[in-house]
Amino acid sequence: MKPVWLIAGNFLREQRWPVVILLGWVVLLSVAAGFSDLRRTPEDVFMLFQQVAVYILVFSLFFGASAIRNELRTRRILAVLSKGISRRQYIAGLLLGIVMAIAIYCLALGMAGAWVLPQVGVPAMRFGLLLLGLGVASLLTACLALFFSIFLHPLLATGATLVIVGSPLLVEVVWNSSWAVLVPVYAILQGFLNLSQGATAFQGWLILLALGETALVWLVSAWLFSWKDVALAVE
Amino acid sequence: MAPVLEFQEITKQYGGWFTRQPVQALDRFSLSVEAGEIFGFLGPNGAGKTTAIHLALGFMRADQGRGLMLGRPFGDARTRRRVGFLAENVALYHRPAAKLVQFYGGLNSLGGARLRQRSREVLELVNLAPDAERNVGSFSRGMLQRIGLAQALVNDPELLILDEPTSALDPVARVIIRELLLRLKGEGKTVFLSSHLLSEVELVCDRVGVMHGGRLAKLGRTVDLLHSREQSQVVARGIDVGAFPGGVASDGVVSFTITTTSQREVLERIWSLGGEVVSVNPLKRSLEQIFLEVTQPELERRGK
Repeated sequence: MKPVWLIAGNFLREQRWPVVILLGWVVLLSVAAGFSDLRRTPEDVFMLFQQVAVYILVFSLFFGASAIRNELRTRRILAVLSKGISRRQYIAGLLLGIVMAIAIYCLALGMAGAWVLPQVGVPAMRFGLLLLGLGVASLLTACLALFFSIFLHPLLATGATLVIVGSPLLVEVVWNSSWAVLVPVYAILQGFLNLSQGATAFQGWLILLALGETALVWLVSAWLFSWKDVALAVE
Repeated sequence: MAPVLEFQEITKQYGGWFTRQPVQALDRFSLSVEAGEIFGFLGPNGAGKTTAIHLALGFMRADQGRGLMLGRPFGDARTRRRVGFLAENVALYHRPAAKLVQFYGGLNSLGGARLRQRSREVLELVNLAPDAERNVGSFSRGMLQRIGLAQALVNDPELLILDEPTSALDPVARVIIRELLLRLKGEGKTVFLSSHLLSEVELVCDRVGVMHGGRLAKLGRTVDLLHSREQSQVVARGIDVGAFPGGVASDGVVSFTITTTSQREVLERIWSLGGEVVSVNPLKRSLEQIFLEVTQPELERRGK
């Protein structure tokens, strides 16, 4: 397990600037909210939190899509994979690194939310559950992007992930079908997007479904990655 | 004793689907590296040396054939804990040298005080102890190669695979690495050394293999390859320089090359001419000559 943690920590270290930038944005948001008259502008507060939630999802998507490619391009992957770690552990390490980045974002957003949102009528407990959902949805998104990036350019992997993650929206709008929850990222995120519309039932099963799908995509990614030629130069 | 590294009829081809012209990197390549030896792996660019190394480490899979490293199939993660590897163009994360070595040691599941101690030892070995706290991002190419070697040694490997380890080093550093390799051999380790620096290989390797066109074109003990069994170098005194074909006069002696089978006849002729035989030795060739013999046809073909 130690190598997985080391790869995760290393990933986080290599991605420290995007992490710091989004964290800075969350801090800025909290400070701005703290100095404003929250009761008079609750819609603005909701919008800011929803915006940051979408940013977290988008950052996770980019982290997932670029994680392997960066290592292949710099050829740093060779020294790592020459050690006693399997491809499955390597993929797990990258995903754990992304989880750590998401956790940092969610923690910062949670702290800001716990301070600001109760003042506009959103209980801290409800916000906490929404954050949990956001974290899991972001993880599934990152995992899908990582999967596609094994055989696609990061830009194409990003596009493919957006299609998969966004297709439930299309299914719901066009066919009004319950199959929309098959990839539950959008369904989970809806809780966040409806922050202003009062309490909605916490759909724990969606989170469990997302976690199950993440595990499945991880296993398939690891298997696929075990066939990948990591020594070939990519530009 | 079982070979430490074994390639069995391995074939590997790059490209060829929709992307580019297929390139045959290895063509039914077979080789066995024995425990405790320093094996020199030579060949011109594109001969398949790096492909063979990458296959052994599991970076890619062979199209055909199989291979064993320390008795386990290529690509086995647990086996790699007992192996050290330095890539040709070493690419490492930018962090302090000591932390970097500890990171790579940790990937081999080492840890704690033992890892910190080992990290200090290997930095000493490659002469980088004074730079242990310096960020690797500010290192010169030669220093990068040495820190690359340090990370390869951190797990005290049984098998060390080095792809061009001395190409960017100055002469002093080269001597240090050469002595280090000999010391590792003395400790019973096996070193698989791919290099273009033939003089280095000549000095440290027990056996050499020359790759050409994805196949092993020449293989043998270094001493056997360097000392010809078919030809001898004769040095004689008191004879005319023109007495034997190819004779060269220098410092009052005449030296020339003969086939080993004609040795007796030549010596009798020197005596009959009133001369004196100073020495008769197997003809010593350089590794460069052997390398060129193997690869010359290809070079000529390219020239045409």
